[in-house]
Amino acid sequence: MAHALVDEFVDAAHMAAAHVERHPASGVGAVIERLVAGNDRVISALETSPRGAPYETPQSFDDTDVFICRAVIGVAENGAVWLPLSRLRYRSALFLATQVIVLLDVADLVLDLHAAYDAIAPQRETFGTFVTGPSKTADIEQSLVVGAHGPKALTILLLGAD
Amino acid sequence: MTSDGRALVVVDEPRVNHAAAAAAFNADEPRVDWHDQALWFVREKRDRAAASVPEWEALRDRASAIKEHTLSHLDQYLVQFEARAMANGVHVHWATDAAEHNRIVLEILRAKGATRVVKSKSMLTEECHLNPFLHASGIEVIDTDLGERIVQLRKETPSHIVLPAIHLKKEEVGETFHEHLGTPRGLADPVALTAAARVHLRAHFLAADAALTGVNFAIAETGGFVVCTNEGNADLGAALAPVHIASMGIEKLIPRVADLPVFLRLLARSATGQPVTVYTSHVHGAEPGRDVHVILVDNGRTTQLGREDFWRSLKCIRCGACMNTCPVYRRSGGHSYGATVPGPIGAVLTPGIDLKKYASLPFASTLCGSCTAVCPVKIDLDAQLYKWRQHVGDAGLVAKKKAFAMRAVARMLARPALFRRVGALARITGRRLPARIARTLSGAWGTTRTLPDLPSESFTAWYRRNRPNGAPR
Repeated sequence: MAHALVDEFVDAAHMAAAHVERHPASGVGAVIERLVAGNDRVISALETSPRGAPYETPQSFDDTDVFICRAVIGVAENGAVWLPLSRLRYRSALFLATQVIVLLDVADLVLDLHAAYDAIAPQRETFGTFVTGPSKTADIEQSLVVGAHGPKALTILLLGAD
Repeated sequence: MTSDGRALVVVDEPRVNHAAAAAAFNADEPRVDWHDQALWFVREKRDRAAASVPEWEALRDRASAIKEHTLSHLDQYLVQFEARAMANGVHVHWATDAAEHNRIVLEILRAKGATRVVKSKSMLTEECHLNPFLHASGIEVIDTDLGERIVQLRKETPSHIVLPAIHLKKEEVGETFHEHLGTPRGLADPVALTAAARVHLRAHFLAADAALTGVNFAIAETGGFVVCTNEGNADLGAALAPVHIASMGIEKLIPRVADLPVFLRLLARSATGQPVTVYTSHVHGAEPGRDVHVILVDNGRTTQLGREDFWRSLKCIRCGACMNTCPVYRRSGGHSYGATVPGPIGAVLTPGIDLKKYASLPFASTLCGSCTAVCPVKIDLDAQLYKWRQHVGDAGLVAKKKAFAMRAVARMLARPALFRRVGALARITGRRLPARIARTLSGAWGTTRTLPDLPSESFTAWYRRNRPNGAPR
């Protein structure tokens, strides 16, 4: 069952144009280092203080190359990850960054949105969002373009998967 | 609009003539075919998405029941929402009509000294004509949804509630961007055009003093609200600007958080065929030093709620599926409806605002019922369109020629002997008349169709000949 959940989540995330990598829970630091190599400005919500320029205003994250954060849950039916403000720390960075990397434990996958809302209680925080792939649009002749106003790429590191 | 937000009294508001506007759209046949196919493509994506959820019909039943329950107890849920939202630190405002809504927005902006505003998609602010009102008050409003920005630059209105620029070809978008954003002449690649819009709008996001958004769902038990986008434009606006103003029609309420998944599983699948939108954002308060405002807008909704025949139209979650499937919408274009919301749901909602002006809209339908079949909240759209026609007739708003013809036909059908004589005459003259004249006499139906061959005898005559004893065989 757990295996089927992982497969469904990965398929749905791929459909939403997200990249998914499966890794053991330990050693994720090296994976992140590899993924962010060559980028100038990396903002990580996993660390107490972000690398690079100090956080001043929401606008100061405009030139973020990569933003890294950890999801509370992932939803198998649609490939969404739940990111409340406490996990983002810097709300605007999630939308301004060119690339977003989301860590997700395989144990935190749920089947569908009903199960997701049973788990998250969105009212606990001022802001929280389900993110499903990178930003996209099809407003010009129904042609799908990945990377509208927000991130052009979303990578999900699914940790603990076999 | 006047500067204090009151609507000017418009004398002789021109009546919308859907058939005439559709005829103009139909003059370019290849373009009609292209428009038709573009929307059918979206309808097919919706079908595949719906079929992938085994409990789809149960979800529709549930969503419909939740909305009917909420609308039946709207007063209680609105007060509950207000109290919880205020407890979350959100400013709550009530607006009876469009003018009051616009005035409230302006007051909030003026109090903060805000002059640069970014707005994500909100059909309610279109309905309230907020942009021209704010422009006249010296406020810059930039629509940030790509499709809405395209039509804003072209000084047009959205032709679809989910796909605002579905009526435009990429070459036309290219021309508009060449003129306004300085892209190379002839550039028509959607990827390159979207990249240009990203750079252009990013500057506006960063400079904005306030962000305006719509609301997809508001939750009574928590006082929170949910905004769905694919582009991330609502979130960029709200995360960057110090003030977030969310405008919502009072029908957007649902009772509980547990009701959200029911609607979220239906909304994007019905709208674009995606399992869910890229961003489904929940706001339950303001971060320190920032302000969140919610404006609850009536603007005719309580009147519609009081109409026995039409209150169920308020269940609508604005997915646009009824437009994508409608054979009339696909071939007449969104602008032919002359209303903020086009298509079957627009033709049900808009006559309630001004029956005389929009009397032609309930007739912009074949009553085939395809809209009702795809509606995720099970609004009986075709039945309501049919009902509106009765109201239009009762109000004496049917076109004179048509009213005369209908009365004549009614008299004939009520008299069997007359009916038989007219039928016999039509069969004789119909076969002898040149096709060109016969088609003209048959009205709008015949202008683009070849009429069928008329039979040599009536059904009554045939029946008497074949069933001499009068009994069915």
